[in-house]
Amino acid sequence: MKNLTNKLMVVASIALAANLLLSACKESFLDVEPTGALTDQVLSSRKGLDGLLVGAYSVLTGRGDWYGGVGNWVHGSIRGGDANKGTDAGDQAVANPVQRFETLPNNGVVGGKWRLTYEGVARCNTLLRLIGSTTDPTVTDADKTRITAEARFLRGLYYFELVRIWKNVPYVDETMTAEEAVAVPNNADVYPKIEADLDYAWNNLPELQTAAGRANKWAAGAYLAKVYLYQNKHAAAKPIFDDIILRGSTSTGEKYDLMDNYSDVFNISFDNNKETVFAVQHAVNTGSTNNASHEFVLNFPYASGSDVPAGCCGFFQPSFELVNSFRTDANGLPLLDGSYNNGTNAVANDYGVTSAQPFTPDAGPLDPRLDHSVGRRGIPYLDWIDHPGASWIRDQNYGGPYSPKKYVFRRATQDNLTDGSSWTRGWTSQNTILMRFADVLLMAAECEIEAGDVDLARTYVNRVRARAANPSTWVKRGDGSNAANYVIGLYNTPWTAADKDAARAAVRFERKLELSGEGHRFFDLVRWGIASTVINAYLQFDGAKLTTALGGATFAAKDLLYPIPQGQIDIHGADVLKQNDGY
Amino acid sequence: MFILLMLGSLSLSAQGTVRGKVTDSNSEAIPGATVILKGTTTGTVTDVDGNFSIAVSGDNPVLVISSTGYEKQEITVGSQTSIAVQLNDSDALLSELVVTGYTVDTRKQTTSAVSTVKTRDLAAVPTGNVEQQLQGRVAGLTVITNGQPGTASLVRIRGFGSFGGNQPLYIVDGVPTQNINFLAPDDIENTTVMKDASSASIYGARAAGGVIVITTKRGSKKPQKLQVSYDALVGFTDPGKGQDMLNPEEMAQWTWQAIRNSTHPDSVPKFNHPQYGKGNNPVLPDFINVGGESGLSESQVDLQDALSKYNVNPDNGGIYQVVRANKAGTDWYGAITRTAPFTRHTLGFTGSSETARYYVGLSLQNQAGILKYNDFKRYTARLNTEFDLGKRVRIGENMQVTYRSVLGQQGDGDGANVSQDENDILFAFRMPTIIPIYDEKGGYAGTAAKGFNNPANPVARRDGSKDNSGYGAGGFGNLYGELDILENLTFRTSIGANFGQFYGYSFNRRTYENSENNAAFGYSEFAGSSFSWVFTNTFRYKKQFGIHSLDVLAGQEALKDGIFRNITGSGLNPFSQDPDYITLNTVGNRQVGSNNNTPWTYSSYFGRIHYSLSDKYYVTGVVRRDGSSRFGVNNRFGIFPGFSAAWRVSGEDFMRGVTWIDDLKVRGGWGQMGNDNLVSPVNQFSLFAASLDNSAYDIGGTNTSTAEGFYLSRVGNPNAKWEVSNTSNVGFEALLFGGKLDVIVDLWKKKTEDLLFPVPLSQVLGGFADPPSRNVASMENTGIDMQFVNKGKFGGNVGYEVTLIGSFLKNEITAVADNFDYFDVNPASNRLGSTMIRNQVGQTISAFFGYQVVGFFNSGNLVPDSIQAGAGLGRFKYADLNGRDDSGNLTGKPDGKIDDADRTFIGSPVPKFTGGVNLKVTVGRFDVETYLYTSLGNDIFNLSKWFTDFYSTFTGAAKGARVKNSWTPNNLDPEAPIFEEASNFSTSTQPNSWYVEDGSFLRMQNLTVGFNLPSRMLERVKLRRARIYAGTNNVFTITGYKGLDPAVGGAADTNFGIDVGNYPVTRSFMFGLGVTF
Repeated sequence: MKNLTNKLMVVASIALAANLLLSACKESFLDVEPTGALTDQVLSSRKGLDGLLVGAYSVLTGRGDWYGGVGNWVHGSIRGGDANKGTDAGDQAVANPVQRFETLPNNGVVGGKWRLTYEGVARCNTLLRLIGSTTDPTVTDADKTRITAEARFLRGLYYFELVRIWKNVPYVDETMTAEEAVAVPNNADVYPKIEADLDYAWNNLPELQTAAGRANKWAAGAYLAKVYLYQNKHAAAKPIFDDIILRGSTSTGEKYDLMDNYSDVFNISFDNNKETVFAVQHAVNTGSTNNASHEFVLNFPYASGSDVPAGCCGFFQPSFELVNSFRTDANGLPLLDGSYNNGTNAVANDYGVTSAQPFTPDAGPLDPRLDHSVGRRGIPYLDWIDHPGASWIRDQNYGGPYSPKKYVFRRATQDNLTDGSSWTRGWTSQNTILMRFADVLLMAAECEIEAGDVDLARTYVNRVRARAANPSTWVKRGDGSNAANYVIGLYNTPWTAADKDAARAAVRFERKLELSGEGHRFFDLVRWGIASTVINAYLQFDGAKLTTALGGATFAAKDLLYPIPQGQIDIHGADVLKQNDGY
Repeated sequence: MFILLMLGSLSLSAQGTVRGKVTDSNSEAIPGATVILKGTTTGTVTDVDGNFSIAVSGDNPVLVISSTGYEKQEITVGSQTSIAVQLNDSDALLSELVVTGYTVDTRKQTTSAVSTVKTRDLAAVPTGNVEQQLQGRVAGLTVITNGQPGTASLVRIRGFGSFGGNQPLYIVDGVPTQNINFLAPDDIENTTVMKDASSASIYGARAAGGVIVITTKRGSKKPQKLQVSYDALVGFTDPGKGQDMLNPEEMAQWTWQAIRNSTHPDSVPKFNHPQYGKGNNPVLPDFINVGGESGLSESQVDLQDALSKYNVNPDNGGIYQVVRANKAGTDWYGAITRTAPFTRHTLGFTGSSETARYYVGLSLQNQAGILKYNDFKRYTARLNTEFDLGKRVRIGENMQVTYRSVLGQQGDGDGANVSQDENDILFAFRMPTIIPIYDEKGGYAGTAAKGFNNPANPVARRDGSKDNSGYGAGGFGNLYGELDILENLTFRTSIGANFGQFYGYSFNRRTYENSENNAAFGYSEFAGSSFSWVFTNTFRYKKQFGIHSLDVLAGQEALKDGIFRNITGSGLNPFSQDPDYITLNTVGNRQVGSNNNTPWTYSSYFGRIHYSLSDKYYVTGVVRRDGSSRFGVNNRFGIFPGFSAAWRVSGEDFMRGVTWIDDLKVRGGWGQMGNDNLVSPVNQFSLFAASLDNSAYDIGGTNTSTAEGFYLSRVGNPNAKWEVSNTSNVGFEALLFGGKLDVIVDLWKKKTEDLLFPVPLSQVLGGFADPPSRNVASMENTGIDMQFVNKGKFGGNVGYEVTLIGSFLKNEITAVADNFDYFDVNPASNRLGSTMIRNQVGQTISAFFGYQVVGFFNSGNLVPDSIQAGAGLGRFKYADLNGRDDSGNLTGKPDGKIDDADRTFIGSPVPKFTGGVNLKVTVGRFDVETYLYTSLGNDIFNLSKWFTDFYSTFTGAAKGARVKNSWTPNNLDPEAPIFEEASNFSTSTQPNSWYVEDGSFLRMQNLTVGFNLPSRMLERVKLRRARIYAGTNNVFTITGYKGLDPAVGGAADTNFGIDVGNYPVTRSFMFGLGVTF
């Protein structure tokens, strides 16, 4: 019996061995197909191309890089003086040199932005390459046009980020091989290429899109006009803005208008509202927090307990300079002479005061948008509690007394529109608004001053201010009283071509107030040519208080541009990718 | 003249001729044995059948019979004319079996650098994994490991040939594997380490990192009755002490000092801390948290009232804790560690009949880690059998089933990278000592108390993992058959397979005690399975023709590996947190995921010829042709040859008179090995993927869902080909002074060319696609391996044996890519502004890169910000070493400005020398054995100092005792920079040489005292063997390293030696028993 078993085993082994030997000897044994991935042939179908387009959009979120998204809280807002890094000195110290303008070419904040933005470019290029070679008959010309136009819109947007951050960047498109792409020097003007992409999108995108997150014709137009504005081509930008203001509508077909309540613009429940021209779409509980508002996840008050949203991590603290800017005069107009920082004009704050100590909030006239934009002691913090001051601040001595507010969720939305799957609820589904109708109006106002009707600019500015001036939208206390002494008025005196300077000053200040903390300020200051003056003044003013964070910091000519990441120069070669001056 | 004299002497005293036969203990003939007439140069060598004849003369002729691998014997001839000599197996190293490639040789025959390790040396070390036991046992074998039971280790043979995948190939009973964590130490019969190409290249591809051949126990060829052995090892590991931290009073005082240090000299310091008050002197509070209020004295708290409001359940409203200050200071390291018990029991059954042999091994190991809820379990059952089916056919199998569970392990890479992990051990050094473990009602205390920044209570973290569960179960082994086609020609076929399955689940507490809390209670569950198989067929021809000996092997092998799928699910907030209740069905926000790995295949042919002449001259040639599915169709195949030769000098006539040399062999070899370990199985393909992390997007504006997006996930390179390492080796082996001294020395050089490296792509092409490996880099390793064994006896019953092992290593990257010469790697966690690891031409792998600290700024040497950003008193002063010219190229000259161009190489984690000393003294039935291990010339980047030595790095969190020796105007030679609020380029944000410490150490790894029961007693209790022993492991460590433990591993070859949360190797005490009956 035992022998029989043995023999059977031998026979079985030999049979198995022979079988394996045969399969192993076949040449195809070494052909192992990849699993869980796709090749480009599969993706040249309409669905595949559309999936690649979604992938190109998805880079807007920053994909889990705090500095890689297009919200530009560091690159645009902190560098522009809207806020400082905040929190404490040691956390994300990589951003400390950025706010102090001591950035080195190997800085991770800079490297992250470069990497993500070019990833966006590359995804657009891949899509444009594949769409050109598709042989799938189900991909109609209309599909091709729409997909191409969306991809070119995105590529234009990504290059716009690159060009205003570094200026000297290599332009790589879908026609180049990898070898050619790496050999492109960074000495050519990229703006014409951006204009070409956005112009194509402006002329080819539909007004009504199939999904709220897609760019439509009007978004493309707004970006095209913005790109003109950055080059001071006001005359070229103006007709596009006119068209948008007159006829523009959202991707879902709602005519552009300002939301009635300024605060609703930043309420997750009203994502993709009529004011949204283009926004980064965020979603929660999707299986990856990278699909939520990762870029802003650190930017919540720092405290534990159930009365504080997210509780982490205390970054992005509005500056003294910004808060003081909201001081108004008796007519409710801003102090355009810059005196808002002076003496009693400066807004009273609780810097150096603990939460246990008494504090009386400022009683002077203030633009009501302050308390929609900045969290400060004694003022209701959305639908949470009154901001308690220092106990919500991680290191008040380092970051100052203020908290950000625009990208903070309301208690009512906590359970459904934030992501509880990790160590903070700071991942929300709140969209990052890249362009909204108020921004369009204010850009149009600039164009009118330079190349149109100066007084029409006043009308645009007043339209923005009128919304803010509606008393029913102001921050209220439980008893229905206003949380502070809000005084805001319109510009009632006509603006004239003879005094464009005053008009400019008013429009620029309006942008500062209306769009604070939304990633624009630094780029506005640079294109207006006043970055050095304004930023040095800010550094001096806030640096005198925040001595550890900002004391002694200065802004130099080189700081108009970021350094090109050294690691990338080392890959391309210093002769191909030339470092920006001063680094 | 000489010949004449010889003849003369022979003729004068000839007494006749003696014939004889030399056999071994199995009565098998020993060919080539030397027979010498003692005191003369007369001698002969036995023939194939072990026969000899020799002319004897003299008064009392004595024959000295020796053969390598056997004990030398002297026979007094007397009146005998025919002598039968049976030689006993020698204990000397030369007799050891060397399992080279697909064959078994003796050390005598080998022509290349191989080492064998005796199992009994190893089993006393209470490690989780077998490979850890090899540390310091084999010259040229480096094992970098940590204290976690069941951890994976960095095991490297002769340096680092490649940028990755340098782990050795393990061959367990003929089946290749990359992982031997399933093996039970007591099951192992024999371990052979093949270090150079001339031996290992029979394994061709995948052998570039060396080969470790492990053979498990089996029944002997000679019929033997059932023997049962039982081995037990029990003991415990002591966690030792943590790092010295500031006590609560010191922390408060130093907080005030930091505020003073950060205040401009013209200003008055503004003292203000939520706990220590606002006065000129800090005051320790009695309560650190009462309902969110901090810094309270006894009189400020109505305790009854406060306790009545107590709540730690977020579902019941606001958290209200009452937490007293622990003014005596909490020992957080002590609180998360424990004295950790260890047990291992192994039962072995061996036996054989004329036609069947077997070994059955049953083993159980339970090992607790010194960290709470870190536990390791391994249960194994092994069955090795072999049957003769007639005279010419044998079949057999080696099979093991294993249950293995590792819980609470920290660090990725199966624990190997614990040192780079910001884990609970690091938290023990971040958590302020004033915080107690528990609040007044038994809830966890933590940084919800204000002013202590964000460390999490590590005890709560450990407790939160107590219900986690998981295990892996699998089978490993092979079936084989052998057929003796001719008398000297054997065919062998073997099918091996490795099957694994794993399952587990874990919980993530919803926390309330910290400043940053988990927002939800999380649950995740995971499972998966893996499979690989290998099919090997060989022909072996072995024959002795007179003085010629020929051993030829030819074979074919096919394998498939990496077949792997897994599935995961997770969710939040179950109705009840009872672990018995929670499944994926009872949680919300369910998410699922799975992976399907791309497997890889190899198809190979190989051969080996081994020839020896008169047992004096040996030549070996091996060649292997490998095909790998990881390469495109044009470059799939590689041919890897190896040659080696040896000359047994001592076998020559002219050496006969040199009596102090028993055996001397000189050998040399050269060989090539291929490597594709680092290459992805999909390297040849450009691929697109859909990924929730990388490409999903809520295009529809839904707020809660995403559309699937695609992105280029990998760029393909269809032209990648085998990476080739050329190894040359020269060495000698000598047995001297009557077997008292055994010396093996090898000089070697390994040059890796066409080194496969995933060259970083320019980000203008996209920063998310994995770049393909290209054959662009090269690397050189050179070294010396040495082993000395000296043994002897004092008097009748005192014996000793000393083994010294040492190896020197020099590793250098010689090329990285065509257009650039370095690449940076970021460790798993890094709070500095840039990475500290750069792999660059001219440096070792994983070298440390950063600013060279030349001292601290004193008032005399302070420079303006424009020269060094953030320069200030007491901060780091960096060396100005380099600058850039107008075109952006480095000049190599100081430029008066400190910026990123000034970074330089500040250390290397690659040890220059590693070695071990093993000393054994036997006194009668007692033996004492100790074993020391040393690693010299390696540096450690002590990143944990970032957390413990700066005030500004998480202000308020715990700080280490070095702060007491930080810079002040009166302490210009400090251990740490000034303690202050700032965090900038000159303080805590840059990698620099201050973090780099000498990582050299000498550790007494083991000290054991054993007693073997005398045979009289054994007979009485019917035992064959009985031994009891007691030992201590990691008795002491001599090192200058300031971190917890200098054994610092890492993630990979290009990324190791960084310490932020290392799990220390600590002292343990063991008691063992071994009996055979």
